[in-house]
Amino acid sequence: MSEAPVREQEHELDTSWMDQMGEWGIKAKPGKRGLTLAEIQIGEYGELPETTDNMTGRPRGATPRPEAYRVGAYGVRNLSEIWLENATFLYEEALQRQWSSATDIPWHTIEPLPDDIEEAECLLCTFFNEVEFVAGDVPARWIAKTSPDFFEARHVLIAQVMDEARHMDVFRKRALANGGGLMRMSGATSGFIGSIDLARDFTEMSTRLHISGEGAVLTMFRMGELMGQNDAEKRMYRLCAQDEARHVAFGVMHLRFLCEHAPERRPEIECYLDEAEAQIMAGLQNPAGTQAETSEALAILLGGGKAHYDEGHKMLLVIRRRQLKEYMKRVQSAGFGERFENGRSSIPEQYAAAY
Amino acid sequence: MADKDAGAAVPAAVSAGDDDGPQVEGVPEPTYEWMGLSNEWGVRVKPGEHGLRLGDLNVGIYGEVPEEWNDHTRRPRGALPRPGIPPLPYNLRRKHEMWADCAADLYEEAIQRRWIPATEVPWGSLEPLPEEVERAICQICTEFCQYANTELEIITYWQGQMSYGYFEVKQFLATATFDCARHIEAFRKRALANGGGLGIEQRGSVNRMILESRGGWTESVTYLYLLRGTYTMALYRMLLNAAHNDAERFIFSHCIEDHARHLTYGYDHLKYAVTHHVGQDRILQTLLAIGESIMGTELKEGTMGSAMAVLLGGGIEGGRTIGMETYLHGVGDFVRDYLALGEWIGVPREENLNPMLKKYLVY
Repeated sequence: MSEAPVREQEHELDTSWMDQMGEWGIKAKPGKRGLTLAEIQIGEYGELPETTDNMTGRPRGATPRPEAYRVGAYGVRNLSEIWLENATFLYEEALQRQWSSATDIPWHTIEPLPDDIEEAECLLCTFFNEVEFVAGDVPARWIAKTSPDFFEARHVLIAQVMDEARHMDVFRKRALANGGGLMRMSGATSGFIGSIDLARDFTEMSTRLHISGEGAVLTMFRMGELMGQNDAEKRMYRLCAQDEARHVAFGVMHLRFLCEHAPERRPEIECYLDEAEAQIMAGLQNPAGTQAETSEALAILLGGGKAHYDEGHKMLLVIRRRQLKEYMKRVQSAGFGERFENGRSSIPEQYAAAY
Repeated sequence: MADKDAGAAVPAAVSAGDDDGPQVEGVPEPTYEWMGLSNEWGVRVKPGEHGLRLGDLNVGIYGEVPEEWNDHTRRPRGALPRPGIPPLPYNLRRKHEMWADCAADLYEEAIQRRWIPATEVPWGSLEPLPEEVERAICQICTEFCQYANTELEIITYWQGQMSYGYFEVKQFLATATFDCARHIEAFRKRALANGGGLGIEQRGSVNRMILESRGGWTESVTYLYLLRGTYTMALYRMLLNAAHNDAERFIFSHCIEDHARHLTYGYDHLKYAVTHHVGQDRILQTLLAIGESIMGTELKEGTMGSAMAVLLGGGIEGGRTIGMETYLHGVGDFVRDYLALGEWIGVPREENLNPMLKKYLVY
């Protein structure tokens, strides 16, 4: 160090940036749950713009630089398009509840199963692999399109992509851990018009993915105690349900926010819900749906083998009813419950007929 | 809400009394058409010393990673295809466009080494710092937020275009994006926790270079990890050495761990691409010739250098002497690392190194 050469002029210190800082004197303090994102939403740093013109990727509250490049190309720049009130909570919870499929699942509890049950489990795992692909790919696409001024919501989506990667990995592991293998793909998650993949609006995507799609899957995961044949599977479904509940909560809370802050979009959202509801029982995306071959696998798992298919099928109907009931609760919570009373939605009829 | 949802979990579902419908009449006859449809059956992977890891699953056909994956659907690797499925826009379908042998191991490592800024960083160890030093660390945190933001935006731009034949890479990149989110969070928290605030945004020349790299993921990796990433690692190391308290020590040591994984993937991928794709080395030479110039300009004109010097020098006065010298030595280390990595990857840059970077080699 002492032999350092004489520095060129350009290495002289420029401290002009010191006079161009954002709001100064901020001292956020850790709360009961540590120093969470909610604790640093203070002063100007907590002020959310209704519409943002930040196209440079500037952190919210930092001083803009007039000559900065506009590299953002952000399409989601209105608060109502992406926001939800509990984003900080969901993100922090996601961090606290991360788990490892390698070490947190008691894989040693898996014992050889009868062939029909193993095949049913492997079919379901193959299906869930595809489902988790969608739930990871699609939110990822929206991250770079969303202004970093709304980073809290974006962080929840990033946590979701991580969760889905883990789900994909745990179902693949289960399929290959007990003398089985992957089976034939369902193809149910492909890019048909009106599907999660092709949505060109974030709220449309979220309505399909978080509320109807993941909502239906969440109900299934919660039935893991019935489907699971051993502690490894039961734990796998329980942990996945915990993650999935956060994703569903994102959709519900976002829709609620949109409903309150952009009421003019209500009629449009009702149309997305119409489409989703037409598919919820008949669509192949629902593993417990009436047309899905995964339904047969589920009946085998729930009944305890092909020999008890009828009993399993009866339990499957319970799942279907529960899916519909939970869906209605979520949509009501999001502020769109009227559709179940004014005759617009067919879900109450589907619920009544789901025996 | 999520708590409630998660808490309700399974037992409530099992005992849902009002869901008990009437006796089933006429259960539809199952077809069982799906039974027996598998490419390979009888696989029994066992957990090893470190649990059941992603890499352990690469047995039989499930471990066959093709050079080219022409399936545009979401078929899991090894599963049986189904005809008639409409394609999805998976544009990266060749192994050399994204592969690195270490991806599966890095994925598991990322999960094991997760950390939580809210509760694990010892925020109570922060003490007031001299005003100039606090301004410097806050400016540095602001720019690091932008580095991490650029990284997660370019990864998520490409992630959805990567086909499922190479899912290990997609899985690893999900962890890398999550790491970036955590870095943004930790740097923002540090800037707002000790009487300071955020600084001024960067002009963003290198950010633009990374975000405009649309010629393929390999091009993005070149700029993101070989150029910017190697420099960032040099900065993290200097900052760890100069940490003022346990909170900063925790943040920088964990960022180094995370970033080291990203760089390991990046370097490994570039080597794979150069080794397995004819002409890739020449393309990288061209990209780096452009990239070095942009990097050199940012090093010369950006605010990071001055902020680092003030921090390393303990204030403006020290920043003009020992602080700037320490920083320049750090940049010299970055350029030396960069040259050594280029050599290892198969893209030697020593002879054609841009003079704007070459000048740091004297430090």
